[in-house]
Amino acid sequence: MSDDKVVQNIETEKQLLNELKEKFGDKILDSSYVKRHRRVFVDVKNNAYRDVITYMRDNWDAIHITTITGMDTGESFILMYHIFAKKHKVVFTVRFTIPRDNPVVKTITDILPGANLYEREVYDMFGIKFEGHPNLKRLLLPEDWPEGVYPLRKDFKREMGGMKNE
Amino acid sequence: MSNDIPEDEILIPLGPQHPALKEPINFMIRAEGEIVVDAQPRIGYVHRGIERLAMERTYLKTAYLVERVCGICSAAHQGTYCMTVEELLDMEIPPRGEYIRTLVWELERLHSHSLWLGVAGHEIGFDTLFMYTWRDRELVMDILEMLSGNRVNYGMNKIGGVRYDVTDEMKNKILKAMDLLEKRFKDYKKKLSEEPTVLGRLVNVGILKKSTAIKLSAVGPTLRASGVKADIRKDDPYGIYDEIPFEVISYDSCDLAARVFVRIDEFFESIKMIRWILNNLPDGPVYKRAPIRIPQGEAICRNEAPRGELMYYIKSDGKSNHPERVKIRTPTLANILSIGEMLKGSYLADVPIIVAGIDPCISCMDRVMVVHEDTGKAEIWTDEKFRDYSRKWYKKNLKWVVEERWKK
Repeated sequence: MSDDKVVQNIETEKQLLNELKEKFGDKILDSSYVKRHRRVFVDVKNNAYRDVITYMRDNWDAIHITTITGMDTGESFILMYHIFAKKHKVVFTVRFTIPRDNPVVKTITDILPGANLYEREVYDMFGIKFEGHPNLKRLLLPEDWPEGVYPLRKDFKREMGGMKNE
Repeated sequence: MSNDIPEDEILIPLGPQHPALKEPINFMIRAEGEIVVDAQPRIGYVHRGIERLAMERTYLKTAYLVERVCGICSAAHQGTYCMTVEELLDMEIPPRGEYIRTLVWELERLHSHSLWLGVAGHEIGFDTLFMYTWRDRELVMDILEMLSGNRVNYGMNKIGGVRYDVTDEMKNKILKAMDLLEKRFKDYKKKLSEEPTVLGRLVNVGILKKSTAIKLSAVGPTLRASGVKADIRKDDPYGIYDEIPFEVISYDSCDLAARVFVRIDEFFESIKMIRWILNNLPDGPVYKRAPIRIPQGEAICRNEAPRGELMYYIKSDGKSNHPERVKIRTPTLANILSIGEMLKGSYLADVPIIVAGIDPCISCMDRVMVVHEDTGKAEIWTDEKFRDYSRKWYKKNLKWVVEERWKK
């Protein structure tokens, strides 16, 4: 891997992150960082992600969304949108936190139509609702899966899905 | 479109799936006469909760778990997983290991694309192509077995490198097989591009416009067949792909024929890459011992699997010996939205081949519900019935359909 033999050039990535900070001010959190060449993690306030993603789409040709990763820390849910900015060939991960007791966010399918099935997958696995999604239904779990049981939540136990804990 | 079944219809679950190729996927198709008006795929029949399992297993065991996400691109999964953990460890694996890992990835592309070509042939009633390509695919399967001991789920990768080395004798066998495969597939390509009955089933069928493919975040050969020169190996290089000379293949016609020829040309590119890898294989170990404890951090790795972009996200909390989160996004999921678009406006007879065109890792429909809007009838069609319908329909209608398509 020739990337590791030389010191990676992450100037572009740093510049792009700075550009976001200048444009969105304190909506971009300090925990945002450049992980390596072509990988930038952008932590945002949870009311800013739609604007940030729209900005990326309009300025950096960032229309390709790889997926949306959900995570349960126990205290809150984290959503990560992995988007490829074609103009600079950088994968941006736009990340924010939402409260566990009210897991509702606005959809981004009007900005990035490719997010359709990924939002459904997060809904299926975590129970996070995406307002405005054209067809928010379970994606993977079977029709007879019990309501209100979300397998990737930290408090999920196998018996809850109707399986015996062997 | 709602998935509600009309009151007087019953959805009957069908029995065990065909063992050889197929995995289950369900479609709800609304048809008016012979034209598809809308198509909604329903997936999840092979959902096994692997992301959940990965959180409960050690990093080491997860390497074997993720290999089993997919039988056809198992090395892509395992290799990408190991690459992601290696990034978390901030470790570089020995060059020879890097080369062998890439060798197996490209061999996997060969076996996957030749498998697909056979399946595509089978879907349009061209069983001779199916027989020939699967016979030739055996050459690749034999090589994979020689390298790893397995035809599927090779167990080739581990965190820190690969598990098996390539001897000079193996290298010569592989190079010989490459010459033979190249010769045969060049012949198939020539025949396919000249055979009007085949082209009649592929040209201008299953159109996916370039702008739609981009908008829906399509990946892999499906995307490249719509005129987009996007390939993770070039756009986001990993492993040694920034060193190997190769071309990104794309075709502009946005139809099934493009999807066929993209894969055939990629087959040739992979052969060239395999030759380059073997002729430039560096000396040294294939593996470097990796620490058991994975430090805190997160990493994202992407891989151009045979079907397209594969992504792994792994988060380590630095404390336990199992990952905090493993997120996997397989390429087929990225193309499901595009199938819906391709099916709209197509003939029912083309549904099997259009679905097969994205090379789904849910290879065929085991159960499709067809709702005839004009008569209000709903029925379940198995893939056998679909293929049968396809063949009979094309026997009757091939001539005028082809004329209509060539006009476009």
